[in-house]
Amino acid sequence: MSSTPQSDDRRSRASSRADALPLSTPPLPVSTGPAVVFDSSDFVRRKSLRTQAPVDIRLLEYVPKCDSNLVCLICQCPFDIPTMLACDHVFCRECLDHAFRAQDHRSKRCPTCRTHVDPKKEPIPVPRILLSMLEDLMVKCPNTKAGCTWLNKRDGVQNHVDLYCGFSTVECPAGDCRFSVLQKDFHKGCLHYTVSCELCYTSIMKKDLEEHQRTVCAQRMIKCPHCEVEMLRLDLKVHIKDVCQFAPTACPGAIVGCGHTCDRRFVPAHAKTCSMATMAPFFQAQKTRLDDQEAAQKLLQRKVDILEGGFTNISNIVYPTNSSDDSSFPVTNPLDPNAAEPLPETPDFRLPPASFPPPAASTNNPPPPPFDISTHHLLSLHESLREEVGRIANDLASLEGRTHLLILNENQRAKEEMLHTSAAINSLRTQVHWLLSARLQQGRASASGGASASAGGSGSASVPAGSSLGSASLGPLRRLSDSTRQDTKL
Amino acid sequence: MQGHLPPGIELIKVDDFQEWLVDLRVLDSNPLYENEIYRLKFTFGKNYPIESPEVVFVKDATHPIPWHPHIYSNGIICLDLLDNAGWSPVHNVESIAVSLQSMLTGNSKRERPPGDENFVKYNTQRPKDINFLFHDNSV
Repeated sequence: MSSTPQSDDRRSRASSRADALPLSTPPLPVSTGPAVVFDSSDFVRRKSLRTQAPVDIRLLEYVPKCDSNLVCLICQCPFDIPTMLACDHVFCRECLDHAFRAQDHRSKRCPTCRTHVDPKKEPIPVPRILLSMLEDLMVKCPNTKAGCTWLNKRDGVQNHVDLYCGFSTVECPAGDCRFSVLQKDFHKGCLHYTVSCELCYTSIMKKDLEEHQRTVCAQRMIKCPHCEVEMLRLDLKVHIKDVCQFAPTACPGAIVGCGHTCDRRFVPAHAKTCSMATMAPFFQAQKTRLDDQEAAQKLLQRKVDILEGGFTNISNIVYPTNSSDDSSFPVTNPLDPNAAEPLPETPDFRLPPASFPPPAASTNNPPPPPFDISTHHLLSLHESLREEVGRIANDLASLEGRTHLLILNENQRAKEEMLHTSAAINSLRTQVHWLLSARLQQGRASASGGASASAGGSGSASVPAGSSLGSASLGPLRRLSDSTRQDTKL
Repeated sequence: MQGHLPPGIELIKVDDFQEWLVDLRVLDSNPLYENEIYRLKFTFGKNYPIESPEVVFVKDATHPIPWHPHIYSNGIICLDLLDNAGWSPVHNVESIAVSLQSMLTGNSKRERPPGDENFVKYNTQRPKDINFLFHDNSV
């Protein structure tokens, strides 16, 4: 694939199938090299809606230039959806469709070798290797001209443009705005309102303002008041703050207290003599460390607050009566020998509230013991509570086991009884059946006796009658016994 | 058009995608065409390359119309390749130029097509709309 006008011509034609604007495609920039560049925006998936049409892969710039064997002879571009004819000639599907449309309805011929094409059998499947070679072609992002540096395999380009490319145009985030923005400016909100350039008073859209002040605005250049160098107004602040050698600059020791100010170019000379400037880095380091410490301390403080809150809550739960008092925390130490009442052993845990009288009740109470002791007290309480809970859990488990066994035993007995009863019922049923069948047999015997008497000597009638009699005499009985046996089994 | 062009073919004006000028030389020592350069004008339609371009020789002070029994004196070429029936989208400027080159190379008759005078006088049609009858398979 070369960049001669011929191929560009075909390329643009391929692109402008619908709207015939052959010159609409800008010439793509010259490739810089086969280096693969991933910019960070590759990994930021977007949520905005894209406004661009799907990527036309024939307009992409291939790096390096595509192998001429992978080029469609009609559009002179690497195959879009490749399609093969029986004569082994491959074209883009769209190109082949166009070529066929221009031909006679009845006989289609291969554009290359003019072999007859059987529309029922062709096109035939394209070899897998061709498809993978096409997928592996390296292309530049279609938004390269706008600034995107993406360069990767061709089959990922649509995905990149749809989801990751910062230079795709997307719908403006403002719902009622119908303009489109570049994806990378999406987070800035709607920039489609008119502002006036503060330098030349031209009305301009907000999104174009920076571009305008950088390249268009007549007033965009300004001279630095200190060094007289001409530069963009936009860059002036940064220039004076960090770059300009003639701008008055404070001594680096200013944070420690040096009041000296001079041109930037003299600052290094001053800093050599200024003791405060020498010390400044150390102070700076100290300050940052202090700040870090303070932040950490704040964090710890908050943690302690939360823990204390939780603690108070626990104590409220443990001593519900105390929570109604003014103090929410029992400060009386049960281990204190000076306590008014000795702590009775607690066999049951409903007692503790009563065992801790409020501190006001005892007159000769010492001042509240230090925090450590009450913590100990609480911890011991917690321990005993835990033991109590454990004991109760054990009891519960054993109780459950016992109940379970009891129920099982009971069940077993009931089951056996049920079995007995059903057996008895079944035996009764057999007897009844037997009796019934005996009665039936009697009745049929008398009936068949009458029938054979009326039929006379016709053997053909008497033989089936006799056989049916035999089967009837056996049949019902057996069936009945079978069914009863099944019942018992059930 | 891949890379460099075959010898004897030179692009002259390729500014846009509507009209190209290409110079053509016959390379071997055919006395009919020796030391002459012919200028071809390609006019591309909207549907190129599905439809054929219009290709004629142009005549000016330095570029004559080559003698050939299928080339009229006004530069119109009677070649099935350039007619929609004989055209195939796999052709391009290079392949057309090479075809014409070989068509001239193989010719030894210093003559115009029959009825050249009348045709040149009365033809008002575009070359692509003329219904040529392709009878000569020797070219």
